[in-house]
Amino acid sequence: MVDGAATLTRRLERYRTALLQVTPAAAIDARGDGRAAAGLAERLADAVSGEVVTTAEGCFVRCEPPSRHLPVDRERLATLPGQPPRDVPLVCLDTETTGLATAAGTAAFLIGLGWWVADRFHQVQLLLPDHGEERALLFALEAAIPADAWLVTYNGRGFDWPLLTTRYRLSRRAAPTHAGHLDLLPIVRRLYRHRMADARLRTAEAELLGMHRVGDVEGWQIPGRYLEFLRGGPAQPLAEVARHNDQDVRSLGWLLAHIETRLGDAGCRAVAPPGDLAGLARAFARERRLPEALDCLDAATGRPVDVAPRPVSAVRSPAIAARETADDAPWWSPKRPADFGGYPARSWSPSPLGPGSAPLAVAWTAERIAVDRAHLLRRLERYGDAAEAWSALAAGPGRMAIVAAIELAKIHEHRLHDRPAALAAAIRGLGAIERRRRLGRPEPRLEADLRRRVGRLRRRIPASSSDRRAITRTGPPLA
Amino acid sequence: MRTYAPAEPGAVLADLLAEPSIARGVVHHAVLPPRAADYATFPAWLDERIVAGLAQRGIARPYTHQAEAIEIAHRGDDVVIVTPTASGKSLCYTLPILQAIADDPAARALLLFPTKALGQDQVTEFGELTAAAGLRISTSTYDGDTPAPIRAAIRAAGQVVVTNPDMLHSAILPHHTKWFQLFEQLRYIVVDELHTYRGVFGSHVANVLRRLLRICAHYGSRPIIVCCSATIGNPAELASMLTGRPARLVDRTGAPAGERHVVLVDPPILHPESGARGSAATLAQRWALPFLRAGRQTIVFGRSRVAVEILLTGLRESLRESYGPRSRVRGYRGGYLPTERRSIEHGLRDGEILGVVATNALELGVDIGRLDVSILAGYPGSVAATWQQFGRAGRRQGMSIAVLVASGAPVDQYVIHHPEFLLEGTPEEARLDPDNLHVLLAHLRAATFELPFDPGEVFGPAPADDLLAFLAEQGHVRQAGDDRWYWASENFPASEISLRTAAPENVVIIDTTPDRPRVLGEVDLFSAQVLVHERAIYIHESVQYYVDRLEWHERKAYVHRVDVDHYTYANRAVTLKPLDVFAEATAVGGRRLHGEVMVTSLVTLFKKLKFLTDENVGWGPIDLPELELQTTAYWLTAEAQRGRWRRDDLDIALLGAGRAIQTVAAIHLMADPRDLGLVTQVRSPHYEQPTIYLYEAVPGGIGLSERLWDRHAELLAGAADLIAGCGCDAGCPACTGPRLEPGVDARALALRLLAELGAPIAAATT
Repeated sequence: MVDGAATLTRRLERYRTALLQVTPAAAIDARGDGRAAAGLAERLADAVSGEVVTTAEGCFVRCEPPSRHLPVDRERLATLPGQPPRDVPLVCLDTETTGLATAAGTAAFLIGLGWWVADRFHQVQLLLPDHGEERALLFALEAAIPADAWLVTYNGRGFDWPLLTTRYRLSRRAAPTHAGHLDLLPIVRRLYRHRMADARLRTAEAELLGMHRVGDVEGWQIPGRYLEFLRGGPAQPLAEVARHNDQDVRSLGWLLAHIETRLGDAGCRAVAPPGDLAGLARAFARERRLPEALDCLDAATGRPVDVAPRPVSAVRSPAIAARETADDAPWWSPKRPADFGGYPARSWSPSPLGPGSAPLAVAWTAERIAVDRAHLLRRLERYGDAAEAWSALAAGPGRMAIVAAIELAKIHEHRLHDRPAALAAAIRGLGAIERRRRLGRPEPRLEADLRRRVGRLRRRIPASSSDRRAITRTGPPLA
Repeated sequence: MRTYAPAEPGAVLADLLAEPSIARGVVHHAVLPPRAADYATFPAWLDERIVAGLAQRGIARPYTHQAEAIEIAHRGDDVVIVTPTASGKSLCYTLPILQAIADDPAARALLLFPTKALGQDQVTEFGELTAAAGLRISTSTYDGDTPAPIRAAIRAAGQVVVTNPDMLHSAILPHHTKWFQLFEQLRYIVVDELHTYRGVFGSHVANVLRRLLRICAHYGSRPIIVCCSATIGNPAELASMLTGRPARLVDRTGAPAGERHVVLVDPPILHPESGARGSAATLAQRWALPFLRAGRQTIVFGRSRVAVEILLTGLRESLRESYGPRSRVRGYRGGYLPTERRSIEHGLRDGEILGVVATNALELGVDIGRLDVSILAGYPGSVAATWQQFGRAGRRQGMSIAVLVASGAPVDQYVIHHPEFLLEGTPEEARLDPDNLHVLLAHLRAATFELPFDPGEVFGPAPADDLLAFLAEQGHVRQAGDDRWYWASENFPASEISLRTAAPENVVIIDTTPDRPRVLGEVDLFSAQVLVHERAIYIHESVQYYVDRLEWHERKAYVHRVDVDHYTYANRAVTLKPLDVFAEATAVGGRRLHGEVMVTSLVTLFKKLKFLTDENVGWGPIDLPELELQTTAYWLTAEAQRGRWRRDDLDIALLGAGRAIQTVAAIHLMADPRDLGLVTQVRSPHYEQPTIYLYEAVPGGIGLSERLWDRHAELLAGAADLIAGCGCDAGCPACTGPRLEPGVDARALALRLLAELGAPIAAATT
């Protein structure tokens, strides 16, 4: 190197001049009077009506919105699957950050916290006035989370908490200990996805709580507003960000209250939407609490199922939209793709919050609830009842009748050890297949399964059996 | 002379040389004597279990170079190991790492390989040795193919992590807080295939390593760096440029080698007027066939995917005619499936596969055992690569044969007629410039994202404050109240940097062949003009793609796969203006300088050229805007020339001499000739003198021009030598470039100019 450092400086100067010629006067004043942390903190505190707190580690801005009445019956909540025990403290948490990556360069500049004191919901917001003051903010957060508390977040498992953990590691400290983490995103998805266009918190508020935000700041605008403030820009736009965060934290509380009051015991479940109950049943079943799951499904059965809304806000690719319209076309339409059985192609976006993810669009129907119920009865080893449930389904229309016939045959053959009944069920399934074939929708996979079943059962039923003769006379010809 | 029975390689070679039509082409035949093994003993500190494991794998004693390297690493110094192909380099870093983990299971090591396939091999080898030693060490590859659940496990508990620089740059360093267990306990960093880290890629990787060491310092670890390299001219220098730390060099091999014959072959001249030569591929086949028929394991290297397929088809065709072992000859190149490659590698090791035709995909450290014969159809572009490919043939005992068949290209012709260059000369030096402004700024952004900078903290050659202030003007970083520099943008800087290109603004190449279009790669704007203009044939990992559409303002090129026998070459009209002189000196007949220049480039038309023969088979226009490139250059002025030359003659002489200098420069600096641009000016507007510029076709340059300036005299002498030694009568594509005007002796004019500039001209020439 020919005196590397000096050459580099000269080259940088020339590069800078060249750039200025291209974009004149676009440069932002990097060292405005906003540099001193104290000044920044005061401006920020003014904007969000908070106070500057100075500690040995540095300063941060603290802002405490008024507490509100928001009762949650923890006893009832604790009976629901995935919910925290009744006696641990809960800390609701939501952060606003300088970017979306959970990597080392993204900082949380606003941490909103919420907790209950008896029936009152208290909130506090901690704000970072300058990059260099982060230690003070992290210390304050640590103090706000008791070691036996459960965190309550929305997508906090995937985003907020890993990001905060990263911040603590960067300052060579361990993240605050806590006893558990209740992420409401998967719970909302499981219980309510059938009536929501997407799983964003704002959609959940509108659909479940009936709340609509007015003049809310868009998520993508938030990092820009904060960085602009750090560079000497106005602090006022951050007031809206603080309001947004305040609303997010409060919604966490409301969501918990909503879940508890609408689904907390058998009484309220009797009037809950059947789709919610079907979701709750799955949540119970995941924890192997099968009797409770069955109760939910029983409560859901026999009531009209609410029709799922078509996702309106979802932005869909033209290809998927085209496929959907084709799926809605009548069976004889040439636009309709041939149905060869098997699982539908996975074509939705894998993002948990992504719009139009297919599971959200799949509606609960009475039939799907009945199917879940039949499966559950079998898992509960109530084989007679399960057989009855499948039998009812096998009498229905469409492809499900065939699947139900197969399930029915399985239960009769392997659990109830009633081969003739199994054979009758299988033959009924073949009849359903025949009907669908006439509609131009053959089911080769299911048909192969049933024919194998019928063949095996015929071999195993003694030749003298009167059942067998009866069946052979009426059954369809076998290949 | 067809031999169908098994025969010794020596006998086959003797038969071949007895054939007059073959013997005529042999330019040089050297015999390298055998070398006996040089053993040392394992050091006393080495864990008994490891020694036992080694014995179980048939390694009772280390070679001297292995013993020396592991001793240096164990003492805690950085080391760079340079020994021939298949001399057991990997043991040099495997043993210190195993020892460190045997002493302390918390210890970690990070292994960097330039490609994924090499990493996979290493994981297997590591696994076999640790199993034999009875140690429980978790070795894992962490790359783009690693499934997400396994990633978390590797982050938490992977003791030896094998990855590549791209993954380190974009996935590991920005997420270092998730890797804190690794960084806190990192004892060794291994950089294998060091020689591949040169040019733009090397400059980027040097900065990735700066970031890595900065993160290690944050977590309180100071890892030892072990580098392994194939033979190059400046391994220790390259290692220190790449890592920023001095390294001890181990370059005396203790591995044994049998006798080796090196044969340099030149295809016959077909048209004496144009100087066109026969094809290297055809001749390489003629050389390969007798060895295959005699049952000798043979590897043939082709220069491109197409060349490989042509060679393979030709060989199989000939073997069928004469009932040879046709099905035991296979191809091996990029684009083959990994399983297919593994089965070929395995077949070569156990002798099931007799012959293989490969691209340089087999040049790196893939383990295929040792073969009898290596035949190169065309000079692979550097002395180092030539020896890598020669090295594929070489039993520990017995004779091996290496054949280089030249093509008609100027570089090939120069090498083949200067056997001392290949056999005795030092191999090329690998260059990189970690302080290239564009590269440095890009990684400084990534580094600030990873950890804030303290005031006065050094990154690269100097404290980074000036550069950070510049980035602050751009709005990427800001200096906070505590005077430290913080990342202050929503963007994720690592995702904006590709390690394989220099400029931040790139053209993305999109392959539309599959149902779902995929991104094939990126090229910087300057290269995009000539590589992915519409109707170009773009070659990626030796697969050809046709460019359907180039959306210049969108920075996107849409391509689809094709298989054609030609490539495209775009003509760049270049003007050049010097901006700053870094160094200058007087030379015979003029001055030599190096510094920064502004190159303006306009591309107006392209040619279609046939593979192997470079025959012109068509052309087309290109409609793209003019581009500016700020880069470094080396240039020389010929001051005494004015008045003694006719202007037209001088023009031809400058261009001819320039071409020859460009060729020689590319040979000496291990650069692709296309990385060095040539501009000649009969009367430079800046110097008012005849001037020859060689500029680097990479924004900011990668340090080549400085080396060219240093080696001015050598370049002129080499250029004169190239032209004087050429068999043509008045200049040809192999020396002074294609003839521009009939009846002008470009060769004599260029030589006259070079002589006046002080180059020694051999007496035999006119």
